[in-house]
Amino acid sequence: MAKTIMVVDDSASLRQVVGIALKGAGYEVIEGRDGVDALSKCTGQKIHLVVCDVNMPNMDGITFVKQFKQLPNYKFTPVIMLTTESQESKKEEGKAAGARAWVVKPFKPEVLLGAVAKLVLP
Amino acid sequence: MKNSTGVTSKTIVPLGLAAAGALGTVVAGWSAWGWFTLIWAVLLLGAAAWLTRDTGFSASAATGDNPMIDNYLASREHFGDAVLPVWCRHIENSRTQMEEAVSDLASRFSSIVDKLDNALHVSGAANQSGSSMTEVFAHSETQLGSVVTSMKSAMASKHAMLGQIKDLERFTRELRGMAEGVASIAAQTNLLALNAAIEAARAGPAGAGFAVVATEVRMLSMRSAETGKEITNRVGLISSAILAASQAAEQSSEAEDKSMQSAEGMIEAVLNEFRQMTDALVQSSELLKQESVGIQGEVGEALVQLQFQDRVSQVMSHVRENMERLPAVLREHRAAYEASGVLDALDPDVLLRELQKTYAMAEEHAVHSGARLAAPAATDADEVTFF
Repeated sequence: MAKTIMVVDDSASLRQVVGIALKGAGYEVIEGRDGVDALSKCTGQKIHLVVCDVNMPNMDGITFVKQFKQLPNYKFTPVIMLTTESQESKKEEGKAAGARAWVVKPFKPEVLLGAVAKLVLP
Repeated sequence: MKNSTGVTSKTIVPLGLAAAGALGTVVAGWSAWGWFTLIWAVLLLGAAAWLTRDTGFSASAATGDNPMIDNYLASREHFGDAVLPVWCRHIENSRTQMEEAVSDLASRFSSIVDKLDNALHVSGAANQSGSSMTEVFAHSETQLGSVVTSMKSAMASKHAMLGQIKDLERFTRELRGMAEGVASIAAQTNLLALNAAIEAARAGPAGAGFAVVATEVRMLSMRSAETGKEITNRVGLISSAILAASQAAEQSSEAEDKSMQSAEGMIEAVLNEFRQMTDALVQSSELLKQESVGIQGEVGEALVQLQFQDRVSQVMSHVRENMERLPAVLREHRAAYEASGVLDALDPDVLLRELQKTYAMAEEHAVHSGARLAAPAATDADEVTFF
């Protein structure tokens, strides 16, 4: 069965682009427009990995990861931060929140897929 | 702009206005108020000189005392309130339109990728059926080959039969020879019997018994001659029948040989065509696969390029939010003037610092400090940070 990946980004075009790359590799994709929207879609179903933006309205990526990791079903779900933000301090915040990888936009599909394949839950 | 004496027009206008006001006051009020009016005029000029002392604008000791400054600040605030929301709406509208367009473009790409995947899948299946077609081809080739072989062995046994028929012909020829031998023996026996009869007649009554034997022998020889003739006739009939059969067999064998050859040629031609077709199919599906891989690479590149919208959108949002702050900054400036009575210069650093705080990308910082940058390159695998 195809593995499910959640893509959280406020830019519709970027969600599309990430979605194309992931669907092309055989993953199923759930989309979240921001942290709040994404959390509302975490209803206990199996999510094998999350690809998350940092700067978003309503709830930013770092806050989302912290809250997502509090949910019992998703404690061990790996999160990749995919962002234009390249500051070391932000990376540290992401690491502290529980993210497993940091990818700077713009990304090459194969690079993202490599990171996804490395981290995705079995 | 400077006039000949080097005094700015900004200084001239308020001073001139104040001077005119003072003069007017003096002319109009001299008769009624005398020195008091003159003092007021001097104060007015002094105030104008103070106002224009270096920047050309300064508050008098108490706020709201100078209607011109009040008006100016109010109009500036009005300007900000009126213009900036329009600018911001345009930026936001463009940003939204771009987002929708790029999103649509991305979904089109997505559908292209899907279709490509399907095509690849179908071509992969065709390729599989191509390989099974090659198998079918090989199988048919073997089967047709065995048909040809069995046909050839049937032909060979027919040829053997033809040889046997020809042997029969030889036997009948021998039989005919033997029958002729019987006929010649009968003729000689007849002559012998005739001689014996003559000798018996010469012997007279003593030869009467011998004459009987001679007659019997002669009758036997005549019967053998008849039998021999009959055998010859029959053998002739058999021989001509065998000859006809052998000729017919030979003709049909030749015809079969020919049709056998043409069948073999046709089978070969059909198999060749079939092979060409399967080869072409396998080649074209291989080509399709290669092309698809190329196109997928192109789509991957396009996916990198399409991410520009996200960056541009962020930059536009940051600038828009900063622009939206300007009316408030103007309002605060006016409030500060009204509170302190000091008209400070507008500080650009306030907004610039706020703008800088919103930056997420290294690109924005670079552009802020005056650099012109090409779009950043896509992340390489070694730039991914794992925690």
